This record gives sequence, C-alpha cells and structure tokens, in this order.
Amino acid sequence: MKLLRSLILRPLRRDLPRTILTVLAVALGVAVVVAIDLAGDAATGSFRSSMETLAGKTDLEILANGSIDESWIGVLDALPLNATFSPVIEAQGLLPGAGNIPIYGLDLIHAAGHHGPQTQPAGELPPVGMTKALANRLHMRAPDILTVSIGGHDRQFQVGDIVDAGTAEFLVFDIADAQQSLARYGKLDRIDVTVGAGEDFARVEKAVRAALPPAYFVEKPGLRNEENQRMLRAFRWNLRVLGYISLVVGAFLIYNTISVSVVRRRSEIGILRAVGASRGAVLALFLVEALLLGVVGSVLGVLLGRLLAAGVVGLIAETVNALYTSSRPTPVELTASEVWSGILTGAAVAFVSALKPAREAMQVAPTEAMSRGAHEHRARLRWRRSLAWSALFAVAAAGASQAPPWGGYPVGGYVAALFAIAATAMASPAVVLAVDRATRTVTRRRAESLLAGRSLTSSLARTSVVVAALATAIAMMASVGIMVASFRETVALWLDVQLRADFYVRPAIRSGAGQYPPLPEGIAASLAGVSGVAAVDDFRGIEFHYQGERATLGAGNLEIVRRYGRLRFLAGEDRDAILRSLPDRDRAVVSEPFAIKHGVHAGDRLTVPIGDHTVTLTVAGIYYDYSSSQGYVILDRSTMLKYLPGLAATNAAIYLAPGADAGQVLREMQLRTAGKGVAIAHNSELRRASIEIFDRTFAITWALEAVAILVAMLGAANSLLALVLDRRRELGLLRFLGASAGQVRGMILTEAAFLGLLASILGVALGLALSLLLIFVVNKQSFGWTIQFHPPGGLLAGAVLLVWIVTVLAGLYPARVASRMNPIEVIQEE
Amino acid sequence: MPVRLELRGVSKTYRNGGQPTEVLHDISLSAVPGTVTALLGRSGCGKTTLLHLAGAMDFPTAGDVLIDGRVTSTLSDAELTTLRRTRVGFVFQFFQLLPTLTALENVELPLLLARAPNTTGKARDRLRWVGLEEKAASLPYQLSGGQMQRVAIARALVHSPDILIADEPTGNLDTASGDQVLALLREAATRFGATVLLATHSAEAAAIAGVRVSLRDGRVQSIEAS
Repeated sequence: MKLLRSLILRPLRRDLPRTILTVLAVALGVAVVVAIDLAGDAATGSFRSSMETLAGKTDLEILANGSIDESWIGVLDALPLNATFSPVIEAQGLLPGAGNIPIYGLDLIHAAGHHGPQTQPAGELPPVGMTKALANRLHMRAPDILTVSIGGHDRQFQVGDIVDAGTAEFLVFDIADAQQSLARYGKLDRIDVTVGAGEDFARVEKAVRAALPPAYFVEKPGLRNEENQRMLRAFRWNLRVLGYISLVVGAFLIYNTISVSVVRRRSEIGILRAVGASRGAVLALFLVEALLLGVVGSVLGVLLGRLLAAGVVGLIAETVNALYTSSRPTPVELTASEVWSGILTGAAVAFVSALKPAREAMQVAPTEAMSRGAHEHRARLRWRRSLAWSALFAVAAAGASQAPPWGGYPVGGYVAALFAIAATAMASPAVVLAVDRATRTVTRRRAESLLAGRSLTSSLARTSVVVAALATAIAMMASVGIMVASFRETVALWLDVQLRADFYVRPAIRSGAGQYPPLPEGIAASLAGVSGVAAVDDFRGIEFHYQGERATLGAGNLEIVRRYGRLRFLAGEDRDAILRSLPDRDRAVVSEPFAIKHGVHAGDRLTVPIGDHTVTLTVAGIYYDYSSSQGYVILDRSTMLKYLPGLAATNAAIYLAPGADAGQVLREMQLRTAGKGVAIAHNSELRRASIEIFDRTFAITWALEAVAILVAMLGAANSLLALVLDRRRELGLLRFLGASAGQVRGMILTEAAFLGLLASILGVALGLALSLLLIFVVNKQSFGWTIQFHPPGGLLAGAVLLVWIVTVLAGLYPARVASRMNPIEVIQEE
Repeated sequence: MPVRLELRGVSKTYRNGGQPTEVLHDISLSAVPGTVTALLGRSGCGKTTLLHLAGAMDFPTAGDVLIDGRVTSTLSDAELTTLRRTRVGFVFQFFQLLPTLTALENVELPLLLARAPNTTGKARDRLRWVGLEEKAASLPYQLSGGQMQRVAIARALVHSPDILIADEPTGNLDTASGDQVLALLREAATRFGATVLLATHSAEAAAIAGVRVSLRDGRVQSIEAS
C-alpha cells in the first residue's frame, strides 16, 4: 500500500494535468458506449408493454400476414377450452394538434367482464378510451368530444375512460367502431388468447393450432418484440461498434500513459527490485495504476453517458421509426447492470492496454536504471520488426475480411478492422522515421521545426502510440465519411432510377416503417381519370413475418412498372422477362437485402403465409433497393388480391402522359382528393425527403466520431505534455541559447503539427482500407446493401484539415507550459 | 578600454519556503573586452548565481547588472532575447548538448534561433576552430567528454558574442581535455575579444584568468589581477 502511494499515487498527483487528461479520455470512451446502449434501449423500447398491462395478461397471440378473418373468433370460441379469445385491430389516427396516435380496436364490451378498461357509451357518439398522458397533453377529459382522422375521414368520438399507462399515448376504440372507421369490416390484426385458470396451456395451444389455417402464426407474446430486437440487431451492433472506437482510441492513451510512467520510473523500479520487490509486485503496481485510471474514468464515463444518452435517444428513435418499426422512446434508465458493465468495460480496457508496458516494468533488472534515451533507442532499432508485424496484420486483415457472416454478424469484418488498426499502429514507427527523413532538408531550416522533428523521432515509442491513436480516430472519421458519402451517392443514383413516376400519393397520416395505412377507397380509380394521367400504379403493402424476421410483402401493377418504371435487377437478369412473368402467377421479385438476409437466389421457392393461405412463390428476380434493410417481396397485384381479396391500396404512383401539364394535373388531383386525408408529393419532393431521412439516419455517426476525435485530441495534448515535462532541461537550455518564449511555444506547436501530419497520412490510408471493409463487408453482411465506392475528396480533405488544426490546438496547453518554465531551475536539474 | 560588463552592489536573495536566503551580497565588479575573469570559491558560494545575473538570465534583488552601460533588469523580454542571441554565450559544466542533434546542428542552433543567414557555414567554421570538423555529423553520445565541451564552446561562440559565460567548463573533464578547453576559452578572449567570465574550482582554470575574484558565502573576498 505504501509502495502504491509513493510510486503510483504521488506521481499521478504530481502530474495532475496529465492524469486528468487520461481519465477524461477513458471517461469519454466509456460515456459513448454507455450512451449508445442506454439510448438504444430507450429508443427501441416500445409502448407495447403498457398496452399489455392495460389489456390484461395474454398467453398466446394469433397473427397473420395480411389480416385475420373475424369469423375465426367464433370457431375458437366454440372450442371446448377454458380460454378467452380477444380480437385486436391496430391502426394510426391523426389528431389535430397531437399528430399521429396509435389506435387499438378491442372488444371492449366483451372484455369489460374480464379485465381492461371499461368504456361506457355516452350520448350518441361512439366512445373512445385514451391514456392519461395523451389526455393531459390534449387537456381532455370525459365526456369531451374528440375528432380523429382515420382512413382519410374525420370521425367524432366521446371520451370515456382515461387509463393510466405511464408515458404511453394511444386511443382505444371498440373493435366494431375501429373496423367501421377503417373500412375493415370483418377483419382483425390479431387475436389475443388468455388461458383460463386450471386449463392446460399446451392443450389450448395445440387445439388452437389445429383449428386455424396453417398460414396463421400462433406465438407466445413478445414475438414482435423479439422480431423488433432481431431487426434492430444489425443497426444497434454497428452503432455499438462505432461507440467502441472512442474506447479503442482511449486504450492507446492508457498504453501511452503507463508506458511514460514505466519509462520515467525505471530507476525507481530498479531500486525496488534491488531491495527485494518481486517481479509480480512491480507488475501489479502498474496494473493497479491503469485500473485506477480506468475505474475513475469509467465512473465519470457512466455518469456522462447517462447525460449523453438523453441527448441522442431522439436521434436513434427517429432512425428506428424511419427505417425499421414504429416505436416511441421510453425514458432513459440507468440500471445497475449498465453501471457495472460500463465500469467493467473501462477497467478491462485500461487493464489490457497496460499489460504490455507493465510487463516491461516487470523485466527491469535490479541493477538497471535505464534512461529514457536508451529505451527510445531500443524502439528505434525495433522499427523494422514492427513493420514486419504490420505486414503480417495487414495480411490477417485481408484474410478476415473474406470470412462469411457469423451468426448474422459481420464478425470477420470487425476482426479485419481490428487487424487493420493493429497494422497501422505497427507501421507507425517506420512512417514517423520515413517522414522525418523525407522532410529533413526543409525542417532543418528553422530551429523550431528542426527541434520538433528530432524530438518526435527521438521519443519514437511514445510518438508512435500517439500517432496511432490519432490515426485511428482520423481513419474512423474518414472511413465512415467515405462509407456514408458512397452510400448517399448510391442512394441518390438509385432514387433517380427508381423514382420514375411524376407524383406519389399516400395517406396524409405520417406512417413509420412497417405501417401501411390504407388509401381511401376509389382514390386510384379517381386519379386515373384525371386528364393527363397516363397510368396509376396502386401499391399494396403489408408487413409480413418470414423465418423469424419481418419484411414487406408488396404488390403493384407490374405491367405499369415494366412500361414506365426502371426497376434495376442484379446483373444478368432480364428485367422485361421477369416483370412479364409475374401477373396471375405465384411468382415474386425480392429486394437485394431480403435475398442476402435469407440466402435467396433467383429461381428459389419461398413459402409465405398470406392471409389464410400458405403460398409457394418462385423468385423470378432480385432487384436493387435501398429503402429497407428488412427487404421486400413483391408480387403482382393480381396475385396479392387472389389471396387477400379486398386489400386496400396503401399508396400510388402516377405517371403523366407525354406533354401533360404537371401543374394542371396536380391541381385536378388535389381537387379530387380534397378532404380525403391524402398527400400528393412531386417526384422531387419525395427524392428530397428520402435524402433528408438518409442524412438524419447518419447524424449520430458524426456525433460519435466527434467524440473519438476529441479523445484523440486529449491524447495528443497528454503526450505533448509528457514530452514537454521530460525535456524540461532541453527547453530551458534553448532559452540560454537565445530562444524566445514564442520560439519554445512554436516548437511545441510544430511538434503538434507534425503529429497531426503523421496521423493524417496514416489515418487516411487506414481510413480508405476501413471504408472498403465497411462498404463491402460490414454493410453488405449486416444490411445487404450494395454500395458503390464514391470517396468524397473535398469532404475528406476538409475533415483531415480540421483534425490537423485541432491537433495543433491540442498543443496549446503543453506549449504554454513549455514557454513558462524557469530556464535556470530546469537547467540545474541533473 | 570601456567596461563591458559591470555589477554594482549586486545582491540576490531567494525565498525558500518563505525563508529568505541571501546567495549574493553587495557584489561589485567589472570586466573589459578581451579579458578572462575567474570566479573562485567553494560549491554553494554563489558563483553560478552570479553567472546567471551576468548573462541576464536572472536579475538581482538589489543593485544593478550593466551590459555596455544598460541595466539588464530594465530590458524587455524581447530585448533580453536579442541580448542573449547577439551578445552572450554560455558554456556549462555538463555540456548541455541536445542529444538528438549532431555536433554541427548543436553549434548551428543559436544561429537558427536568431534567424541568422548562412548558419551552416558559420557553424562549420566554429567547429573547425575547436578542431572537430570531422565530427560534424556525430551525435553527442558518439563524442568524448572533452569533445562535447569543445562543441559546446563552438556553440557558445558561433554568434561571436561579446560576453562568454562558462560555468565549471572543465569540472567534468580529464586534465588533457580540460587544458584544451581552457586554451579555447583564452583564445576566445584574445582572438575574438570576448569578455570571458569563468566560474571554477580548478587552479589550472584560474591560471588563464587575468582577474581572479574569490567568493565566500556570497561575498567578494578578494579580487586579484595578474
């Protein structure tokens, strides 16, 4: 304990600014990881659990792709079982002043006798139940009158029960009112099964399965949540991996701090060993130092992460809603397990990063009191060996990148990225020496640059670690920048090809991913009659379950798509022949992400339950799509309507006749759809909106990268400060030799600039390699996108310049310390 | 001959944990160009402090240090930097060469700091003068102690300073190397006209001085001229 105090705690206190910088770096790394986890949990936390509380306990759920015919309730009720079967309809309504609100249609009259809210009709208007949170927001109470826009029509209800469901906001209608409002007569979305007391669960499940068509799903509740989690798995994993970048950068800094600590105290270690300290004790001392830094940083990081989570939960929730599924963020909750996992992660990273330098400390012989110079000299001699390791890691990275996904995760891609980072770190000493040699004739002309260059090469071991840390941060920024820009460009090009219709019509209600509110009946036919309209392709979409994942089953008029659209199929597939082969046949085309996710190829057969039927579809072709990572299975409308007769259109694409006046057509269409809750968007608006969603989706990645860069900056400042403190005497001497304070400051800033330059060279090279991994391995395996490589030259140059400037700024504090040293005091230190 | 360096009633007091410690007390002396002045006395008698005051690296708590008639404590930071770049050269007991620079670069450094023209040529000349031209590309660790001190002298004289301050320049050298260094210091005074102020323990070093000032407990005990 005494040893710990004198050898570890005291120096940590003495070098307080450096200790603080290291702790902050760990804290930021941990904070990002914790924030991403917390915000991810909160953003995907569905309000469904509140709904379950409200409706009572459900033992089984009956679901179908499409809808369930109401008549099955009668069949189920007739079974000799002690079980309750409750029909459910789910929809979205538009409330003036409150936006989109989920609506549940429940059999309230039947349910009233058992559980759930009791709604009493008042007056002549149908009753509506609402949650307390919504009632508070709308300032409503029973028996106020509520106007809801559903299925394109405004309907009035009388507020009945107000139920407490936490922060959740939704409306509850009687099922009959819901069916009427949505024009879904006789149709249900779900049947909830509650097994009565004393009844055998397995018997109920078996009997229910036997009674229903095989196309229906009989599942334990939570299937959707499981599907949600599975669907979000890749998204959250990739976000988490991005979050870990800051921690990797932080690991370099811990390594650096402990290395400096070991080098500085080599003679003390020698003395300790001479007076009887064991190797193990020395090892333990430095590991304890790392753990101390790790634990203090992690505790701070967990607290900071909690604050950050509140800031990013909105961003993640927007992405989840836009791309995956409808969910509302729940409050961010910092659980004990999150706290411990944050602290353990930080401590583990600190511990592992410190192993190598701590082992070096352990090797110090009792008689040895090796100087920094000797240690650095050894590092210089080792650069060739490091370079060989670098080549080996690069080969390993290339090998790992070829691995197939593992359990659905692009593990090979992540491992390859780690190997690539290791390769860069190992190449760092050689690059530092090479750049120094190449720039010698220039740097020699000024004292500041001469000294800065020499100082960095003379402390090669330390310089290399900082350069590697900075380069990793820059590489992450560059690679994600290249990936996002390439993706954006690919999507923009795809939109150009894909969005060929002049106008798109959809229900005005804002629908999230996986929601397909219907267009009012007859809209497509009405619009087809507008003068100047050449064709209307009305599309029907339903969310469907396939092999434990969710996707979209859609149907359009594929003859119109063939004639007017530009659907692009994978190379070698004949677009016209494929699209001609679909109408009136059990054939489908699937999107590329669907094909990759489920290992589907052209000519394969898919067994898909649709409504009451189990349909075997032949895959006619695979087309490029960037609108959903869950994927599409597209049929001709004739096939879809054969299995789901009466399925309403969910949106429509309008193609104009050549020479038609778009403005005139739009006015006419607006006239015909007035008051029907329909939104008409011009091609360009839709394109702009799509790109906006894209940009919002990636907003969080930029935020994460900013943190990684910040951590690297702390590292640069930390390392420069260490260099300044170690070279006190030299800096003092310079003042004796006629250096002004400004020149000393300039020298440290030049060192910072050198560090930035070296890191930029390595960072951009690593960034390019990582971007290839992200585009062709991680994204392809996680989401199934084929992204074309479009590196954004200007953006990259700007970003690297920015990092370089910030690195120079990171040198300001060390430069100030250096220029304020008392030359007489430091020159006399011997 | 005009007085180049003059100390008038100089005292220096340090505060050590709030406790004042007088290191120099009422010192007055002067030195003219082309002479070597040796400061003699035991360790801790104030020699190094006096050198720092004379080189304008530090300032007295009482009295004045004048270089060419200008009081150093009244000069601005920029003026002091210019003074060190143009008028003063330092030689230290432990050589204080920068380990990462070659011998030539070490000598060239003051010129680079002063943004002087033709730095390499001048540095090479000085290195030739100390007899180490062939060691120009050597790093300090490749030189002997004597060679390192000769490089340090070349560095101190590369900008032709008027005042050369040497703190125990032979303290870490063997006799032969020490003699070489002393010869160079004497030559700096006779050939370049520098005012050399030398702190030393050694009788050999004291022997090259025209003026010998003995210090004891921060006070001048005697001043002898030969």
